[in-house]
Amino acid sequence: MLPLSLLKTAQGHPMLVELKNGETYNGHLVNCDTWMNIHLREVICTSKDGDRFWRMPECYIRGNTIKYLRVPDEVIDKVQEDTKSRSDRKPPGVGRGRGRGREDTSSKAKGIGRGMEDGGGRGGGRGRGGVSGGRAGGSRGGGRG
Amino acid sequence: MLFFSYFKDLVGREVTVELKNDLAIRGTLHSVDQYLNIKLENTRVVDQDKYPHMLSVRNCFIRGSVVRYVQLPPEGVDVELLHDATRREARGG
Amino acid sequence: MTDLKIIGNRNSQQQPDIKLLRLLVDKKMATDAGLENLVDQIISVITNDGRNIVGVLKGFDQATNIILDESHERVYSTKEGVQQLVLGLYIIRGDNISIVGELDEELDASLDLSALRAHPLKPVIH
Repeated sequence: MLPLSLLKTAQGHPMLVELKNGETYNGHLVNCDTWMNIHLREVICTSKDGDRFWRMPECYIRGNTIKYLRVPDEVIDKVQEDTKSRSDRKPPGVGRGRGRGREDTSSKAKGIGRGMEDGGGRGGGRGRGGVSGGRAGGSRGGGRG
Repeated sequence: MLFFSYFKDLVGREVTVELKNDLAIRGTLHSVDQYLNIKLENTRVVDQDKYPHMLSVRNCFIRGSVVRYVQLPPEGVDVELLHDATRREARGG
Repeated sequence: MTDLKIIGNRNSQQQPDIKLLRLLVDKKMATDAGLENLVDQIISVITNDGRNIVGVLKGFDQATNIILDESHERVYSTKEGVQQLVLGLYIIRGDNISIVGELDEELDASLDLSALRAHPLKPVIH
C-alpha cells in the first residue's frame, strides 16, 4: 500500500501533522496531492514546546515541511477496499510496474495471518478522537523540548 | 552511477556505515540502490553501550541521505580500476 | 563479471550486450534493495530527529515514505528505563527517516527495556 494512497483515503478524517520545525497541526484533511501538500480545515496549531495554541479555520501545508502524519486507525482498512477495486478495473502492467510489488506482498501467507489478528485488536482496544490525539502529541513535544 | 556500481561491487563485504547522527553500524553489505540507500545484514552498532537503540535489529535499511562515511575493507579498493572508471565517467562514457 | 569491471573494460565492442546485462542487474538490485521484504513485519525506525518508532510496516514508496501501523515510540533516557508511548497509525515522510531496521522479535523479547538506559539519539545534521 502506498503512503499517499492512505493519505488520500484519510480525506475528511481528523489527523495530526508534525512539521520538521516541531509545530503540530490538528485538523480535518480536505485534500492532498502527490507532493504530500495538504489542506486542513478546523485547525489547531501547537507550538514546538506545546505551550502555545492557535485556532485557524483552514491551512495549507507544503509537503516537504512534514515530519509525519498521524491518521485514525480505521482509515487503513478503507484503503484496502479502494486499491482492490481499482486494480480490478485496471489491466495488469499499467502504471509504472507497481503491480509486481503488490504481487510480492500478497503472496506472503505470513502477512495475511498477522493482519487479521491486528485488525481484531484494533477494533476492540483503541478508540481515540482527533483532539485528544492532538493533545498527546503536543505535550510529548514539550517533554522532549 | 560510478559509486552505485562501486558499492554493488562490494556486496557481501563487511563495511561500517557512519551516520550523520554519529551512529556507526557494522555489517555485511547486502545491497545498494540508485540513491545509495544501503542494506546491511548481521548488523551491530559499533558503540553498543552508548547506543543500545538497535539491539534487537539484525538487518537494516539505511537511507543514503543520512550516511556520512562508509568504511571499506582495504582489499575492496582497486585504485587503478577506480581511476579508469572515473576518467571514463568524466568523458561521459 | 562484475559491473565495475565492465565499466573498466577497454573493449568497447561489447557495449550493447553489456548495457543489457547491466540493466538486468540493476533491476534485480532495485527490487532487492527496497523494503518489500519487510512489509507486514515489525520494524524499528530511527528518524532524523532521533526518535525510535516501532510498528508494523504496511507500505512504502520510492521516497521511503512509510506507513506504520500499531506503532509506538520508545523513549530513551538516562534517568529511567525505556518508556513506550502508543502512537497508532503513522505516515512517516522519507526525508525524515534515517534507518529502517527489521526487528528480531525473539531478540527483542529477550531485552529488558525497563532496565535499558541511554541518551536519546542525536538528531541528524545534514
